[in-house]
Parts: sequence; structure tokens; C-alpha cells
Amino acid sequence: MVKGLSNLISKEIKELLRDPKILLGMVLMPLITFPLMGAAMNISTSTLEESTRNVSVMIMNLDKGPLAESLLLILQSMNATIIETGSSTVEDALVDLSQNNTTTLVVIPQGFSQNLTLGLRAKIIVYSVFESLSLAEGIRSSAVEVPINLYKNALVTQAIRQAFPDRDPLAVLDPISISNVAVVKGKIVNVSSDILRSLFMSQSLGFPLVIMLLLISAMQIAATSISIEKEEKTLETLLTVPISRLGILTGKLAGSVVVAAAGAIASMVGVNYYINSFNEMIPTQNISLEDLGLSMTPLSYGLLGVMIFVTIVSALALAIIVAAFSENVRSAQALVGPLNFIFIFPSLILMFADIQMLPYPIQIVLYAIPYTHSIIATKAAFLGDYFTMLVSIAYVSAFTIAVLYIAARIFTTEKIVTARISFKKLKIRKP
Amino acid sequence: MNNVVVETKNLVKTFGDIKALNGLSFTVTQGEIFGLIGPNGAGKTTTLRILATLIKPSSGYAKIFGYDVEKNPSEVRRIISYLPEEAGAYKNLSGFEYFEFMANFYHQSPQEGRAAVEEAAKISGLGERLKDRVKTYSKGMNRRLLLARALMMKPKLAILDEPTSGLDVVHAFHVRRIIQEYTKTHGVTVLLSSHNMLEVEFLCNQVALVNEGKVISQGSPHELKSHYSVNNLEDVFMEATKLG
Ligand SMILES: Nc1ncnc2c1ncn2[C@@H]1O[C@H](COP(=O)(O)OP(=O)(O)OP(=O)(O)O)[C@@H](O)[C@H]1O
Ligand SMILES: [Mg+2]
Repeated sequence: MVKGLSNLISKEIKELLRDPKILLGMVLMPLITFPLMGAAMNISTSTLEESTRNVSVMIMNLDKGPLAESLLLILQSMNATIIETGSSTVEDALVDLSQNNTTTLVVIPQGFSQNLTLGLRAKIIVYSVFESLSLAEGIRSSAVEVPINLYKNALVTQAIRQAFPDRDPLAVLDPISISNVAVVKGKIVNVSSDILRSLFMSQSLGFPLVIMLLLISAMQIAATSISIEKEEKTLETLLTVPISRLGILTGKLAGSVVVAAAGAIASMVGVNYYINSFNEMIPTQNISLEDLGLSMTPLSYGLLGVMIFVTIVSALALAIIVAAFSENVRSAQALVGPLNFIFIFPSLILMFADIQMLPYPIQIVLYAIPYTHSIIATKAAFLGDYFTMLVSIAYVSAFTIAVLYIAARIFTTEKIVTARISFKKLKIRKP
Repeated sequence: MNNVVVETKNLVKTFGDIKALNGLSFTVTQGEIFGLIGPNGAGKTTTLRILATLIKPSSGYAKIFGYDVEKNPSEVRRIISYLPEEAGAYKNLSGFEYFEFMANFYHQSPQEGRAAVEEAAKISGLGERLKDRVKTYSKGMNRRLLLARALMMKPKLAILDEPTSGLDVVHAFHVRRIIQEYTKTHGVTVLLSSHNMLEVEFLCNQVALVNEGKVISQGSPHELKSHYSVNNLEDVFMEATKLG
């Protein structure tokens, strides 16, 4: 029995490792996605500064007055590259714009200086060319507004100084100053709210997403490993060799589990990279990652690993059950597809909402789905909430055992061979 | 009665509304090559699958060397080997790796395992091609691989569902010779099904004609021919199924 099992497992692993899809989906995917998530955050927080600095703007100066000139000076002083166009219509200027590989055109209409000196409202028109609808494009188009606003503020300050020579212009303009202080886990954190926001975004969006992807690929692997035996007609032969049906199920699971464990380890390595990318982003300020709730103790790492592991095993067993009823790989994958909904549903909801904020019935549905707990546990890992993690692990493990039991039942009946769902009890012959 | 290898009694098997077997009984004795013949859908494969412990009879019983296939499947699996009608091998393994994998379930020592693999290599006649991945094999090569697998461990009972289907004349001949040799020299009993009446006439000592889930006639090819007073098994088949 033991010999047969190890024989089966080694063959399973041999076959799985010869399949490039497995390596890609289970190991490389989390290894790449997590660090990418960290990198993406790094980029998005630093792009804003970068883009204001190196912005290149085309100016159509129809005013030519002194105040228009001083606006250009301010733009230049902020490192913006300024290209003046000689065109007198916007249409011509836009052609000029594309020839100069620039995406922003600032039009200073005639009368700009005159209006301002007369105390009237002046006007500036900013044309932004959108080539791709990316976030960076949006940031770039707003970049030119930063120096313009600076200039505007200078004008306002000047006007206030003239009207109220004895008062601080800032006190007139903005009589109440508001300071935002972030408090994380009861501690005052001295970190910009931008960074915090993107941090929580990545945690609430990214983690459910990666777990979801991992589970989906694990299920595809397991479903394939059973259904390929049916499709390639190897299952019947295997079922007549001297090894118990449970042994075969164990072998199948073990093979997939080895791959899944590799997936879980790869995830942990990826998470580690992800955390390190924050280390770089938050320089040696007086805050630490612990303050942000981003540190993970060895225990958190361990529990998270266990969580991902049992989650994967249950998904594998579920996939095996489904695959047991399908005749070939394609139908197995088609049957597993709708099953993926039970990860996608909680993942999507928890991406955008905290479970406690949801209506009571939805909460019940979510809590009933075991994979909700996988996601909750991931979040708890970062907050060092061991109790929540243990409860989640217990729930998912109970579910896993139940699914394994059903899978074992199916494997010991002839249903695995006849590939037909029959709810009639088979008569057992009395001796 | 201790030389009875296979005994089936009133086997009934239903799949939903379909009655695949309807009280099928026959007995195979030691050293025989026993052939099941009959039209498509007669229930041959269903019978062999019950004997191979893959599916359970709805009623009736089947015993192999006295072990009930339903109650003692693990004992039965130790002494039989089964070649399914439609079967394949693991595409990503080489022929040798496939033999090794299958042999490891049966043999206690590595030497025994190696001997079985060598035996299988000889039976298959695939030579150097055994080093290639199974996915590069032709249909007939696949069949030879699987047949060699089924015989390599010298089972007490080999259950072969259409063993030579898909083989060319030369290899079918080769396979028949091996089946005969195995029963003579290694004491293997063979239960096979076939649509090739020449093959059945050449190989089998006993033939059971199956129609609509029942054995309608049984005997040696010679007995059957004289019973229906015809010249060959094909005519026996035609006569018998017309009556049945
Ligand atoms: N898994 C199954 N589900 C439903 N019906 C089945 C199943 N397997 C076999 N049958 C039915 O049982 C009957 C007997 O089939 P079986 O495969 O035993 O025939 P056979 O004698 O082997 O035929 P052939 O010569 O075509 O191989 C057929 O009517 C078939 O449709
Ligand atoms: Mg058949």
C-alpha cells in the first residue's frame, strides 16, 4: 500500500512537472504578481512628483503681455520644458503639438494681462491629448496645473497684501488649517495619507485577487489531473491494479498538493518582496512598518502559509469531485469554471467592502463561503490578529475534510468509471 | 471444482433504463483461453468490467478464484490484469517509465520489477521506441504497449477486451502467439472478447456467445459449429443472434 502510494505520487509529480502550465500558474504567477503589486504602488506614488518635474508644455501665447511672460517664467522655474508655438489657431497648434511629441497645450488668450491688471477674471485654456486612457496620462495632464495654480496663488496673495496690508494672506485665504494625522492600530503614524491609501488599496484589492488566481489555477490542475486519466483512458487500468481507491485519491491529491505547496511557498516569497518594496518607499522616517500594520511575525507567516495550504487542498478536492463526473478535460474545466464563483464572489466583495459594513444577509452568505475566511485570514495576518486567523483556519479545514470525505466516497463507488450522476442507491447483494 | 477460475452467475447490470446484462452466467476453468463473442452492445465489455472490479453487478455474482469481485476487490486485483477495450498510457512518460510505473504496483523486489519490465519490452516488440514519450506512439504501438503491460506480471487471469483491435496482421499474429505461449508456459488463464472470428477460432478453447446480456450458447469452437451445423464461427454468430 505504502509502496503503491509512493509509486503513484512520484509518477504524478513527474507528470505534473513535465507540464509547463503548472509551473507557470502555480509558482511563477505569485512570485511575479506580489512584487509587481509593490512595484506598481511605488510607481504610482512617485509618478506624480516625477511628472510635474519633467513635463513638457506647448504654449500658445496670444497675449504677449507682461503677466503672461511671468507665468512662463514660473513654468520654466519648475523645470517644465516650454515650447512656444507661432500658430494663431488651436487647430494649427494641435498639429504643431503632435509634431513636437507633446501632449499639453496651454493657450493664453489675448487680454490675459490686461484683465488681470484691471482686476477682472482672466482665462487660460489647457488642452490635453489623451492617447491611452492610462492613469499616467491623467497625471500628466494635470501636471501643468500645478505651476499655474502656484502662479494663481501668487496673484491672490498679492491682491490680499494690497487689500489687507497688516494681515497674513494665508490667514485670510484659509483661516482654519486642518492637519490630518493617521492612526493605525492605536498608534499615531507620521506618513502621508497618499501612501497609506495606496497601501490599503493594494492589501484589499491585491490579496484577494492573488488568492483567487492561485485557487483557480490549482483547481484547473487537479481537475485536469483526474480528467486527463479519463480522456487518455488510463483511469480504468489504474483502477484495476492492486492499490485501494483511497490510495489513488491520496496519490492524486498528494501530487497536486506538492504543486500547491510550491504555490504557497512562492506566494510567501512574493509577499515578502511586496513588503520589502514598502521598506524602500518609506525612507528612514520616524515610522516603522510595524506602525503601519505591515509587519508579519514568524507566527503570522506560518499561519498564513497553513491557511493558503488548506485552502488549496480543499479547492483541489472540490475540483477532483467535479472532474470525477466529467468525461474529458474540456468538460472538467467547463464544470470547474462555475465553481470558481465561490472564490470570485467573496474576493470581489471584500475588495471593495469591509465585511462588517455589509447587510446582514450578505454577511451570512459570505461567512458561509469558506474562501471568505481565507481572505479574512490574509488581512488578519498583517494586523497580527492570530485569533481570527486560527478561527478561519479551523473553518476552512473543516470544510476541506468534508470535501475530502465526499471525494473519497466517489472514488470508492463505480461512479468514477461510469461518469454518470446516478442518485439511485446501488443494491448490495446479501450473502 | 478447484480449477474454476471465473464463475459468473445470473449477472444483471442496469445503467438507468438500459439493461446491459440480463442474467449472464458462464464458467472459465484453469489454463483456458475463453472467448466472449457477440454483437455490439451485447454486454461483453460490461461483463469484463465487472470481473475487473471496475463496476458492480446490480444482482447476481461473479467470483475469480473463489473471491467475490464485489466483496473482495483488492484480492481480485492482485491476481488479475485487465486490458480495457479503449485504453491509453500516460502521454508524458516514456514506454519504459510506463512499464516501471505499472510493475511497481505488483512486485516486491526491484529485481522482480526489472524482470517484468524486460519481459514487457520483449512482448511489446517496441525496442528502442520504448525510450520515447508515449505521446509519440501510433495507435497500434499504444495497443502493444498496453497488452505487454497486461501480460508482463504473469497474472493468474488476464482479462483482455478486444486485445488485437487496431493491430496490423503481423502484430496481431505476434500477440496471439504470445497469448498462447503465456497460457502454456506460465499457467495464465485468459478471458477475452473479440469481433475477429478467425482469431477466436484459432485461439480459444471455449467460446460463449453473448446476446442482449445473456449467454445464448457456449462450447468449444468445434462444438458450436456442429451444434449449428455450419462451417465457421461467423455463421454460428449469424445463426445464433438471429435465433436469440
Ligand atoms: N456507462 C454506461 N452507461 C450507460 N449505458 C452503458 C454504459 N456502459 C454500457 N452501457 C450499455 O450497456 C450495453 C452493453 O454495452 P457493452 O459495452 O457491454 O457492449 P459490448 O458487448 O462490449 O459491445 P461492443 O462490441 O460494441 O464493444 C449497451 O447497450 C450500452 O449502451
Ligand atoms: Mg465492448
